[in-house]
Amino acid sequence: MSSALLIENLVKRFAAGKPAVDGVNFDVPAGEIVVLLGPSGCGKTTTLRCVAGLEHPTGGRISIGGRVVSEPERNLLVSPRERDIGMVFQSYAVWPHMTVRQNVAYPLKHRRGNGGGNIESKVLETLELVGLRDYADRPVTSLSGGQMQRVALARSLVYRPQLLLLDEPLSNLDAKLRIRLRDELRRILKQTGMTGLYVTHDQAEAVVLGDRIGVMREGKLLQMAPPGEIYNRPADSFVANFTGASNFLLGKVLERQGERATIDLGAAGRIEAWTPQPLSPGDRARVALRAENIRLGERGPANSFTGRVVERRYQGMQTVYDVEFGGQKLEVLELGTAARHQDGDVALTLPPDTCWAYRDEGQSAID
Amino acid sequence: MTATSAAALPESDQVRPAPRRWGAPLWVGALLIVLAFLVIYPLLMLVFGALSDSNPIVDGFGAFRPSVKHFVDVLANENVHLAFFNALAACGGGTILAVAIGLAFSWIVVRTDTPFRGFIAGASMIPLFVPPLVAGVAWGILGSPKTGLLNTVLKWIGIDFRFDFYSMSGLILVFGIYYAPYVYMFTASALRNMDPSLEEASEVSGASAFTTLFTVTFPLIAPAILAGSLLSFVVMLGIYGVPAALGAPANISVLTTYIFKLTAWSPPLYNTAAAVAILLMVVTAILVWAQQRVLSGKSFATVAGKAFRPRALQLGRWRWFTFSLALIYLFVVVVLPTLALVIAAFRKFLFIKDFDALFDAKAYSWVHFNSVFDNPLTMLSIWNTMKVGVITALVGGALAFAIGYTVNRTQVSGRRSIDLLATLPVAIPGLVVGVAYLWAWIGLPGGLYGTLWILALAFVARFMPDTVKALSTSFMQIHRELEEAAWICGRGLLGTIRTIVLPLARPGVVASMTLLFVLAIRELGSSLFLYTSDTTVMAVLLLDYYEGGNVGKTAAFSLVQTVLLAGLLGLTTWLSRDAAQGSARVG
Repeated sequence: MSSALLIENLVKRFAAGKPAVDGVNFDVPAGEIVVLLGPSGCGKTTTLRCVAGLEHPTGGRISIGGRVVSEPERNLLVSPRERDIGMVFQSYAVWPHMTVRQNVAYPLKHRRGNGGGNIESKVLETLELVGLRDYADRPVTSLSGGQMQRVALARSLVYRPQLLLLDEPLSNLDAKLRIRLRDELRRILKQTGMTGLYVTHDQAEAVVLGDRIGVMREGKLLQMAPPGEIYNRPADSFVANFTGASNFLLGKVLERQGERATIDLGAAGRIEAWTPQPLSPGDRARVALRAENIRLGERGPANSFTGRVVERRYQGMQTVYDVEFGGQKLEVLELGTAARHQDGDVALTLPPDTCWAYRDEGQSAID
Repeated sequence: MTATSAAALPESDQVRPAPRRWGAPLWVGALLIVLAFLVIYPLLMLVFGALSDSNPIVDGFGAFRPSVKHFVDVLANENVHLAFFNALAACGGGTILAVAIGLAFSWIVVRTDTPFRGFIAGASMIPLFVPPLVAGVAWGILGSPKTGLLNTVLKWIGIDFRFDFYSMSGLILVFGIYYAPYVYMFTASALRNMDPSLEEASEVSGASAFTTLFTVTFPLIAPAILAGSLLSFVVMLGIYGVPAALGAPANISVLTTYIFKLTAWSPPLYNTAAAVAILLMVVTAILVWAQQRVLSGKSFATVAGKAFRPRALQLGRWRWFTFSLALIYLFVVVVLPTLALVIAAFRKFLFIKDFDALFDAKAYSWVHFNSVFDNPLTMLSIWNTMKVGVITALVGGALAFAIGYTVNRTQVSGRRSIDLLATLPVAIPGLVVGVAYLWAWIGLPGGLYGTLWILALAFVARFMPDTVKALSTSFMQIHRELEEAAWICGRGLLGTIRTIVLPLARPGVVASMTLLFVLAIRELGSSLFLYTSDTTVMAVLLLDYYEGGNVGKTAAFSLVQTVLLAGLLGLTTWLSRDAAQGSARVG
């Protein structure tokens, strides 16, 4: 099956400094939603805008539905309006001088080769889909932020584009609404069978919406994988840290067999870990751990240690412990409304599958 | 704790606030009296004048019998109708042209990658500083039907077409190109503040750039377009210089030139002039009110929050087309008129029989400048202009500071009325201020009439709204807590103003005074009715030269005035920038 979107070696350089997008490759099969995730300035929005044609790439090739829409090397650039895409903007970008209906009907009226069709019924059908049918004749300025974003969504869906681009569409909404609209967005996208490219800095959004997630940093795509893999098999220490593995233990590689490595943590002892990188004995290593994967008060078959609780922060639905062991510090998260451990010595298991060892390239590699 | 410390205070300290209770009303009362003296009294006299057929001061109050009939008679006069509709036609046509130019320019500067955009943006503001009469004179030299330089060139090339700027279309053209910056200022800032994704959304939806411009961009900045065009219309309506230079030879009267014609009659028809002035004021007031309504309405285009990446349309080869459009505009509005003035000022005779004669060095000399400076009135007028400018700047600046502080920074009752009175002149064209001041002071023995002070006070009143507004902006930038901190430290109100507010607001104060000075030295409309032979000013003398019919002397004095104005403008800009830097060091 041909990809709805194919990006090959995309490069975008602004006036000076490092390129904003630096050799990005990925594809989105039809019907799939890919989320680009990363901190601000990582190049995810620039990538999206290159796909939309709102930014002009410096190098590489972008194809939508098998048609090349941008290839600077061949001086090829298709304008946004001829790419057959829809786009939802962070600021909604609904036109305040029009009603809901006029906003949604706009693309149908102004697209080339739309042949008229039944604009009225298409508009109403799409408004029904986003739950705004009763608001058709209101001026958009009278709507709430969430409703405006639905208008923007309806406007980009109404002509059934080949590809839907979403640029942090939920980030201007308040927290509660964001969660509700997030789930609804997934329902609508799946219901319509849209192919989507979605950009966000919010991991929770990425996990719920994405069939695959691509983590970006400094213009590079670090890992592109289904959410479960991103969370359980992060390809490098930045991905691990960005998706929430806040603990890092420093040590030296003793030996490695395939994806298994044994790391010497010094005073704390030895630890078994999974690694995606070709580490060699003697390499300095950094072991990443998620706070919620550490088991307090348990003695497992491997990676079992004794630590000491130095501080306890009760947070209602969970408790966070600062645990010291062998001169290194760990943050441990225990779910549930009861805090079961006291200050003092405590048993500690770090399941080998949840300990991920990477080459230690200093703190800057994960910030 | 609080109770004890309060009790521990010396008794005198507790009583001290008492005098302040009298201070505030006294202060507000004083400001109101000053404003009434500057604004209300002249307006009342104007109304009295319009409602009678005798001058109560010359003829005595006994002869003063107010009657609405006089006013109605004036309004029913055919000549008044003609002047009224001419004014609407000239300003309406001029506004349409100004909107087209201003809109095109703001789009070129804000939304395209046209080369040298910054330069274009700066240079397109130059027309704002050109005194209208100078512009009118220059275009008369260029486009008079017989001797106009443009026509000489056309004849030389062999094109049969002849320009005639002494006509309604000439008026419209000159109005349109010189007042386009007013539209530009509004539309450019609206475009800058507009969320670019509003346009991107349209492009992604499949609409062409052209469709996007007319269905999204322009409708979104419609309020700014409307506000800008109303403002430029109002400004054109109050202009005397351009219609005086271009309309008079063709016998086209607009309201402003008609009013002046009435007072130049023998005997002067001051009552009729007052009535027509009121008509002009009412039209202006309605338009100003409409403009304020548009501006206070909710603006579509601006969206708070995320900072926008400036979006420049990549025009490719077309950017040289937009660039040359800008160059053509600058050529027409700056280079051509300046060239015309220079040629006319330095040529002994303006008659040029063919194109080659234009380059005959023998035809050029300083003779017109010599004769201008041989006239003792010339130096007197320059000296008078400077004096009036300085008085206006100092008195107006101080008054505006007092008003601005009282309105923006205190809670005293009566500050709304002060604000209202100080803003009122916004709706009064300069010419009307002149007629009103004439009525207010002409008959009072030992009064202001015949001194430079009447000019200065008229200017202070006329430009009060602009000055107060400029100052209020700089007050708003000083955080209230800075003042409150000084109070807590034990400073009194006046001490706080002197040590905190004044130093911090200094750049704003200097800038406002500079603005006042520049506005005052180029003002013609209100001076027309208030000067005497001893108190003539540059703008009035220039008009004298023009009406005297000597194009060479007029052009020479126009150049003198332009150079002086440019020099002073440069000097004051430099001074106020210096002041701004001084305060940056403090802050």
